[in-house]
Amino acid sequence: MIEVQALCKDFHVHRKQEGLMGSLRALVKRETVVKHAVKAATFHVAEGEILGLVGANGAGKTTLVKMLAGIIHPSGGEARVLGHRPWERTRDFQRHIALIMGQKAQLWWDLPAADCFLLLKEIYQIPEARYRETLAFLTETLQVKGELNIQIRRLSLGERMKMELIAALLHQPRVVFLDEPTIGLDLSAQRAIRDFILYYREQHRPAMILTSHYMEDIERLCERILIIREGELVFDGPLVEVMRTHARHKVISLQLKPGAPSVNLRRLLGTGRDVEVLEEGPERIRIQAPRDEIPNLAGRLVSELQVHDLAVEEVDIATVIEGLLHARGGGQAAPEELAAPEELAAPEEVAA
Amino acid sequence: MTRALRLYSHVASVEARKAMSYRADFWVNVILSFFAQLGVMWYLWQAIFATTGQATIGGWDLPAMLRYYILVILAGKLVRGQEMMAGLSQDIYDGGLSRYLLYPASYWAFKYAQHLGSLLPSLVQFLLFFLCLPLLPGGVGDFHPGAAALLMGALAMALGNLLYWLLQLPLQAVAFWADNVWSLGVLLRFISGLLGGAMLPLDLFPDSARRVLEWLPFAYLFDLPVRALMGQLDPAAWLKGMAICAGWCLALYVVSGKLWRSGERGYTGVGI
Repeated sequence: MIEVQALCKDFHVHRKQEGLMGSLRALVKRETVVKHAVKAATFHVAEGEILGLVGANGAGKTTLVKMLAGIIHPSGGEARVLGHRPWERTRDFQRHIALIMGQKAQLWWDLPAADCFLLLKEIYQIPEARYRETLAFLTETLQVKGELNIQIRRLSLGERMKMELIAALLHQPRVVFLDEPTIGLDLSAQRAIRDFILYYREQHRPAMILTSHYMEDIERLCERILIIREGELVFDGPLVEVMRTHARHKVISLQLKPGAPSVNLRRLLGTGRDVEVLEEGPERIRIQAPRDEIPNLAGRLVSELQVHDLAVEEVDIATVIEGLLHARGGGQAAPEELAAPEELAAPEEVAA
Repeated sequence: MTRALRLYSHVASVEARKAMSYRADFWVNVILSFFAQLGVMWYLWQAIFATTGQATIGGWDLPAMLRYYILVILAGKLVRGQEMMAGLSQDIYDGGLSRYLLYPASYWAFKYAQHLGSLLPSLVQFLLFFLCLPLLPGGVGDFHPGAAALLMGALAMALGNLLYWLLQLPLQAVAFWADNVWSLGVLLRFISGLLGGAMLPLDLFPDSARRVLEWLPFAYLFDLPVRALMGQLDPAAWLKGMAICAGWCLALYVVSGKLWRSGERGYTGVGI
């Protein structure tokens, strides 16, 4: 549904020096720098798939989404969305896509949501019966039926975001771009939006691209992610693959029996490389160690300590991705790194 | 075609409802703004006639001059509308254009429909004061337009409205390269007011200037509709004016289209 081949976008940005002299100088001559916002991005998204686009601020996520939604022209490369070049903006393309921007209201501020939806019904030429049916379904599912006749500007952020979602999905798009749809929302509103996106995906099987800084959005919604760093795609693969290839450690959490004698943990752990004690208390110990050392280490700990409970946990995915985002150099992950995913083991519970 | 008409009439209707959302602003716009402008003109021209001691200036006596200004104020608001308020340049500047690029609808038609819908307060003002005009004292209300004058005036205002909107388009498209083009809008307002007859009747210009003005677009914004309403134009003169006005509309449409296509390639969709 979405095919992207070596897509690039460069921006020419004016740079102005600070202060009054800088402003005066800029009136006559301005320095222009070229910013490579997206560098040769290549990927695809299939029907019914939610692709997570992860990157730091300014990494190029939104620029990529804007190109695929047809808002801006690329500097190079090619893209096809539903068989169309997005930036040509054919009516057929526009009728089947939607873009939801968490940071920018798209509905008409002074109008009640009901009036905005009626206008969108005309814009997308939605037949009356289908419009009524879809609107009833969306408002009931998102529980905003009572707020339909309130001006958009008077709604809470969460209610407004739900209205934005309804507005974007009224015409039942086949491709949906979600740019930080849960930004600024409280936890229950975030959960409601996530549940709804999953439900919508199940019902309509659209291709979706989601950008978010909230790892919970990514973990709950996306099977596959793209990691973008300074305009370059550095990882494309299943979420579990990030853990397999980039989370080289696991964490052993031990719950000791009450009154257990203290031991010299450093001596017990030996000289194993890369083993780190994250927490050491009278009843709780947490140790981070390389994946391949976990079985030996766990066995040794269970035999030497009075363990009440033991759990082996994956390192927090946000930490792994953060490490990837801020790593310097490198490029797109090597093909062998993008090999077929293996099943990620759930935290292994080992009874003492 | 019918579907498109239905969409754009719906857009205009939504905009008209928005214009009525804020009651106090609506009535200030309709009533106070008229009296504020009229007051300035009334006392200015009374002072000019009193100072010069002349019965007529450029063929206009004081009641006719005041009548002209009343009609210019009323027709001018219908021709100019809300100007840059809902303009392309603002959409480019703040990234508001992005949402329109997503819709399967013409951006220009959408914005023009919004522009027409936002004329509602100006239309109410026009009807209200136009009907009251014959009641004014001192010969100012000596005004009895026939059906032909009303029809020619209404059509000239409609075409003038389109012309003014199209005059703004290329200027607003400059925002693709310059971000902020507010000063160009102010310049257009001043030049069109001066050369279009909103500041003073074009009869007061020298003959040579009037001959040039005839081929510029500005005279068809205010001078043509007001003269038509006052019954000063015969059908042939009106038709010639309308033809020149339509020619300018077409030329501006073509130029704006080229600028738009070139400019939107560099649009960055800031703000999202």
